[in-house]
Amino acid sequence: MADIPLVFEIGITAMAGALATIAGAAEDVESDIGSQGDPNSQVQLAPQMGYIHRIFNKAIAGEPPAWGLWITLGAGLAWAFMAMSMNPILAIILGCGITTFVQGVYSTTAYLGRTASLAKFGQPVYIDILKSMTTVTMAHAFVAIFATVSMCFLINTALGHPFPLPLLGLVWGIALGAAGSATGNPYYGKERQYQTQKFGAGVPIAASGNIVRYAEAGERNSLDNGFFTAKLAGPASGVCFGLIVFLEIWRTILFEPIGAGWGAIVVGVIMIIIFAAIDRYIEVWARKNYGPYTAPVAEASS
Amino acid sequence: MTVKIEVIQGGVPHNTILVKGLVASLVFIYLTYLNTLLPAGSPPYFAFFGGLAAVAALWWGSHTIKHLCSYGIGTGVPSAGMMSFGSGVIAMLLATQFGVGAPIVAVVLAAVIGAILGFVANNVLGMKIPVMIQSIIEMAIIGALVLMGLAALMTGGFTFQSLVTGASLPLAGILNVPNYMGSVIGGCLLAVAFMLGGIAIQHPFNACLGPNWTQDRMLILALECGFLSMLMAAIMSIGLIDTGAALISVIIAFLGWIYTYDLFFKLAKRDAAAWLDSKPIPEVEGH
Repeated sequence: MADIPLVFEIGITAMAGALATIAGAAEDVESDIGSQGDPNSQVQLAPQMGYIHRIFNKAIAGEPPAWGLWITLGAGLAWAFMAMSMNPILAIILGCGITTFVQGVYSTTAYLGRTASLAKFGQPVYIDILKSMTTVTMAHAFVAIFATVSMCFLINTALGHPFPLPLLGLVWGIALGAAGSATGNPYYGKERQYQTQKFGAGVPIAASGNIVRYAEAGERNSLDNGFFTAKLAGPASGVCFGLIVFLEIWRTILFEPIGAGWGAIVVGVIMIIIFAAIDRYIEVWARKNYGPYTAPVAEASS
Repeated sequence: MTVKIEVIQGGVPHNTILVKGLVASLVFIYLTYLNTLLPAGSPPYFAFFGGLAAVAALWWGSHTIKHLCSYGIGTGVPSAGMMSFGSGVIAMLLATQFGVGAPIVAVVLAAVIGAILGFVANNVLGMKIPVMIQSIIEMAIIGALVLMGLAALMTGGFTFQSLVTGASLPLAGILNVPNYMGSVIGGCLLAVAFMLGGIAIQHPFNACLGPNWTQDRMLILALECGFLSMLMAAIMSIGLIDTGAALISVIIAFLGWIYTYDLFFKLAKRDAAAWLDSKPIPEVEGH
């Protein structure tokens, strides 16, 4: 990378970070509308406990493998279209569009399959959910896939990363799914699904499956959950994934020339230690301020 | 510690599916060898058989996952798919060195790798699941066959030479890559095939699990996922092989996909408790 001006590299780094932020936000909202990831267990459990609901239940896999597929496929198709001498921008858009179609197909079969298998508990298949929510998740998925594949293309072409585009897609796709799954989903799974529980009460066995099914007016569907999580959970996931991408490329381009690549590795380790210290500080601070889980007796009255 | 919570009631026995899937997949992969018998320089018109081999193997694989995961491995369903392909890719890549014997060698090698992994899982990690070793052997074979099938679909052959021979690469100008990187292995399209198969193998059971699981619905979904993966690989193959040959694969995959997708909707409608459009939550006793 020595022949590329440093300012250009920093610019690409910033742009890749910005694309990653958009991708993270869109990815999390997509998975929250589809109840993918860890909130899914409660959505799946609810009908078995007698709580019939109108929430979209789109379990394709854990988020990291599913997003590994979407981004790898988008990158692979874009790569193949470029091999057909197509303009890169057009190739990326076409590849991501076709991938979004695959995501939509998987969403519909996941919802139909899961719901039909719950027939014993009387959970009906709502066709209007399929029609209105699949398209919304597809729209979010397109934004996330397009941003991530473009980011991979920048890393490959502008920064001269040696990995081919589909392999970069695999790496960053799994990272994107993991970031969204770890950052944004708990907000939907713990806050939104259990708004009726006392704050900090956790989810006792008796409340399992008793997710919020009715809205301020009428019945809640997953678009309401998308609206809710777009405010904090989505941006938080975006910042998470954006930071991962930005810091990763930043440390590589600045410190790689030092010690034949070892400089970047050492800086990476130092960054991990700094982040571990910050995490530990926040955890201790939160425990001090919001307290240990004392005497469940106090809650017995409810 | 592991209790078998769901048994396969009725339907086709697992061993029948195993034999049918294995034989169909091997036969289809070998049918792509017809490409070498075509006059020199003609496009690989028989490449689409590779995709059908992948579909057959995925069909068998979804039932293997059902067979294994009925021992209470709920969250392990997607990981089972990943492990299947992780062990399969080693066998598949090594086997491509053996020319025309590659598919058979892949099956044998994958069985050995699977047996070692299954032994470690059962005896070293102590999972103690009765069908573990057999299932992991099956899944490693399936992973190798699906990857080989999709690679044959994208290149027209299953030998190592065809996997590293690149497209004529206008790509090199755009993506600053050396020439060999325009191939299935060099361009990492194998990674795409890995993920296409890894999700497709676990999705049918993952999506259909529950008390009202039915075998025919899951197997149709497996075919649907298989044809969808084949369709995507076929679209990518346009960049690698002759457009006419690739379009044959695209058309066959699309027809297979649309037929199975439609059939899956019908089966879901058959099994669902109710099929409602814009209706409220029904009143259930006690809530």
